Parts: sequence; structure tokens; C-alpha cells
Amino acid sequence: MQVFEEVLLWVANNIFNEVAILIGLITATGLILLRKPLEDVISGALRATIGIYVLFIGVNVFVGGLVAFQTIVAGAFDLAPPTATASMADFLVDQGSTIALIITVGFFFHALAVRVFRLKYIYLTGHLMFWMSVVVTAALVQGFGDMSQWTLVLLGSAIVATYWTLQPMYMAPLMRKVIGSDQWAYGHTSSSAAWLAGKIGPAFGNKEEHDTEKLHLPKKLSFFKDVNVSTALVIGIIMLLAMAAVAIRGNTELLAEQAAAYSATINPWVWGVVSALRFAAGIAILLFGVRMFLAEIVPAFKGVSERLIPGSAPALDCPTVFPFAPTAVMVGFLSSTIVFLVLMGVFAAAGWFVLVPPMIMLFFPGGAAGVFGNAVAGWRGAAVGGAINGLFLAFGQWAMWGMLSDTAPELATLADPDWYLMVWLILMVAEPFTLQALLGWGALAFILVAGAFYLRDRREVLVIPETETAAAAAELTTRPDEELLPPKIPADSSS
Amino acid sequence: MTTITKGYDEELTVLTVCGVGMGSSLILRMTAEDAFRDLGLKARVTATDTSSARSMPADMIIGQAMHTEELQGVAPAVISVDSFLDREELKHKVLTAMHELGWLQHDTPVS
Repeated sequence: MQVFEEVLLWVANNIFNEVAILIGLITATGLILLRKPLEDVISGALRATIGIYVLFIGVNVFVGGLVAFQTIVAGAFDLAPPTATASMADFLVDQGSTIALIITVGFFFHALAVRVFRLKYIYLTGHLMFWMSVVVTAALVQGFGDMSQWTLVLLGSAIVATYWTLQPMYMAPLMRKVIGSDQWAYGHTSSSAAWLAGKIGPAFGNKEEHDTEKLHLPKKLSFFKDVNVSTALVIGIIMLLAMAAVAIRGNTELLAEQAAAYSATINPWVWGVVSALRFAAGIAILLFGVRMFLAEIVPAFKGVSERLIPGSAPALDCPTVFPFAPTAVMVGFLSSTIVFLVLMGVFAAAGWFVLVPPMIMLFFPGGAAGVFGNAVAGWRGAAVGGAINGLFLAFGQWAMWGMLSDTAPELATLADPDWYLMVWLILMVAEPFTLQALLGWGALAFILVAGAFYLRDRREVLVIPETETAAAAAELTTRPDEELLPPKIPADSSS
Repeated sequence: MTTITKGYDEELTVLTVCGVGMGSSLILRMTAEDAFRDLGLKARVTATDTSSARSMPADMIIGQAMHTEELQGVAPAVISVDSFLDREELKHKVLTAMHELGWLQHDTPVS
């Protein structure tokens, strides 16, 4: 009995507590279930495991660059930089295994729900499944404090599974407007901004008159599509401007001190540029690590779900809508960025918070909101969609930093609109009487009442996604079911 | 002199790209792997982002037009697709590109 306990303890300390090894084992299990040859199982599991370590290294570099940026920009406005009692880097190491378990168990619950309720869409946007699991874990630990790991895993899995099941469904009607079919669904944590763009857009214009694809944007702006380039440029320019403001205020010791912490001999202005580049490098490394482990896990998940739920369609990443309106993507992105930068100035001048421009979240959710806004209201809708995203990102980053200050505040600077809502929801339940919780309960009550009135006349929305026009409805009911399914894998496939 | 035919004797090195190299390029990679298997071609497909693609040697790069237009010339064959799931579109474009480069064996039909 003693030996058994010691074995369990050893397993708990060395496997379950070491997230990279746990991910490696989960990957290996998935690959074995797909009957992959042994060399594929070993190399797949190793790549997934190494990917996690690369991710951790990237997070450390990123957090270091973030702190430097926040300190300087805060100094420019004579504010204190945002503080927190904890850091994401430590949080990922401590809670990593919980996160890994939530992704796996959550996906299993999600697949089960899709199967049992005969729903159509299975969420396959791997990197967001990872991040949403991190966000939910951070919010649960922040809100409910110490829980046993199993409670945390079960609760977290139930939450993410519910989100992954519902999110593609409420986006389905708008998705059909954009891509003109049911072939795949929208699976991205920008869904709240995109949905709002689709609903509010029509108040500002209409698609026929104002379609973005009839506009021509200058080619010079296309370099913004490269995340590394746009991050380095935007952060670098703001950093140098902020350093100039600090110098003008006469606080050159701050600059010298920060630069010296990096290297005794470097010139502070050069250090500023170096910091921005290292910030971008941290993001690049982090993304490389995520890509590495996802490359192994997502095919395993897809293979398993294809066996469990034949005939389902995948819910996919937001760029899948970009080809339908590429100019709308740029309009949405630019609108998002302008709104965010303006708010950044406002927040700093008012002494509230030092915002960090999140280039990835300005581009992807901004672009997606642009596409959905354009689908209902042309370029005006696209611009409004981008603005909605910018507002979400600015206010959300500010709120979430504080809301997660004991666990992983830096998540606020990496977050998409849905993340903010998720954290808010979880904390509303955990701490129901804070000001933000009360605001949340009020908003929820309003939405429920408004929703009840809206749905009263449209009962079919609850069961089958609503079809907007008679033509679309006729088309969907007369096409044989096979046409709506994803292409079948040939019978002799090895996967 | 014997020539090595890409995709038949030797694996094609294929990159699927998207902006950040994560969600979309991974799905595209799975579609591409299925497409190559249908066509009976040997290929090693890697999903990545446009930045990294510039420094990775490859025979073929596949991605959305907004990314592939910047990668012209980085690989002998650069293919733009609109849908990440449409295997037939991809098969057609792959065959067309390989035909233009003279990589196809004589008896392969270009549909």
C-alpha cells in the first residue's frame, strides 16, 4: 500500500505537475488511438513536449519586454506601471497540468455534447482552446481561491466545453451571410465583437452601396499583415516617443536605470529599440512553441472527432473568412488600431492605466469584425466593427489586468474580446457583489429579457439556426444532406 | 541520365502558410495531406507562418492569396487557395502547378 501511494505521488509530481510531459502523453494517446506507426507516435509526442518548453521560454522573454514597455510608458505620463501580485510566467508553470487536463477533458465533453445533442459543429481552433483553458483556469483560481485540482479540472472543462459548443452556433447565421454556405463554422474568441458588428452594422449603412471590396487601399499598408514586423514597429515607435516624453520631464535617470539593467554600456535610446525588438521576439518564440505542439495535437483531436461524430463540420479560425472580403479586413484592422491608440492616449492622460497595443488582437479580431460588419453594412459596418473591437480591447485590457492580478494579469494584453467576457462572467459568480459583478448581473438581466422578447417570435432559432431569406431556406432544404457535409476521407486512408 | 521526379521518387517539401502560422495553416495542412494522398504523391507538409516560410526551403507553398502574393518566388510553386477545406480545388491547383513546372509524370491526367 505504501509503495502504491509513493508511486501515485511520484506520478503526480513528475507527470501531472510537469505540463509538457502531460501534453506529450496526451498527444501520444491520441496518436495511438489513431493507430499511427510507432515512429510517428514518438516523434509527435516529443515535438508536442518540446513545443511547450519553447512556449515557456517565449513567455519569459515576452513578459520581460512587456514590463520594460509599461515602465517607460507609465514614466512618460508620470504614472506607476501596472502592478500585480503574480505573473503569467509562474502561473503557466504552476497550473500547467490543470490547463492541459482542461483542454483534453473539455474537448471530450464538447465532442460528447455535439454527439448527444446532434449538433453540427466541432471546435477545432487549437491555439484558442489552449488559451481559453488558461483564461478559465486563471479566472477560477482568482475567483474561488484554492480548489482541489480535480474540482478545478471538472469545472473548467464544463465551462470551456459549453463555450466551444455554443459559440459556433450563435455565429452560424452571420457566418452563412459571409461565406454563403454551411461548410464550416466560426471558431474564434473574437466572436462577441464580430457578432456585435453583424448586429449593429445595419444601423450605419448597407452592403450593396458601401461594399469594401469596391474600395482600393494603398499597397504600402500590406506589411501590417506580418505580425513580427507590425509589432516591432508599433511598439518601437511608441517606446521611443514615450522615452522622449520621459526625457522631457527630466527623468533621465529612469531611462538610464532601465537600460543599465539590460547592459552596462548600451545607450538608452538604442536600448529602447532593442526592447521593442525583444518584445516582438518573445511573441515570435511563444507562437513558434504553440505552433509546434498544436501541429501534433489538433490532427489527433480532429481524427478522434471524425471517428466519434462523422458528418460534423469544423469551427475554424477567423482567417477562414478573410478571403471573402480582404479589404474589409484592412478597414476593420485600421479602425480597431486607431480607436485603441486614441483610447491609449486618453487612459494615460487620465492616469487610469498604461495600455499595451496588442497587434495580433487588433489585426485578427479587428479584421474579422470588419468582414462581418461589411457583410451587413459595407465599409461603414466594417469600420464600426473595428471600432467595437478596439473598444473591447482597450477597456477589456484595463479591466482584466486588475481582475486577474493574483494569477496571470499579462493575459489581459494577449486577450481577445471573448476572453474578457469569460473572465467577467466567472468572477461575477465567484464574487457577486463587487461593482463590476453588479454591472454584469444588470447587463445579463437586460440581455435575458431582451432575448426573451426577441425569441418569442422566432422559436425556430433555438433548434435550427435561423435562415434569413426564403431563397437561402429553400436552398438548404432542397440540397441533399451529403452536399452539406465536409468531404469524406477515402476508404483506404491510413489515419 | 536519370532524373528524380518530385512527388514520385522524392518527397515534395510543402509549406502551408497563414499569418500567424497556427489555426488556418494547420487546417490547410490537413487538407493538403489528404489531397496529396488522393493524388498518390509523396509530400511532407509543414504548417507555418509567412515570416518563417521565407527561411524554409520548399518545393511548394500553399496559402490564401493575401499571403502568397508576398511569397512569389520564394518557392518554385506558390499556390493560392480561397478555402482551407476544399480538397478538390487544391488537387486541381497542385496538378496545374506541377504540370507547368514539368514535374508530372507523363501519364498523370491534369483534370
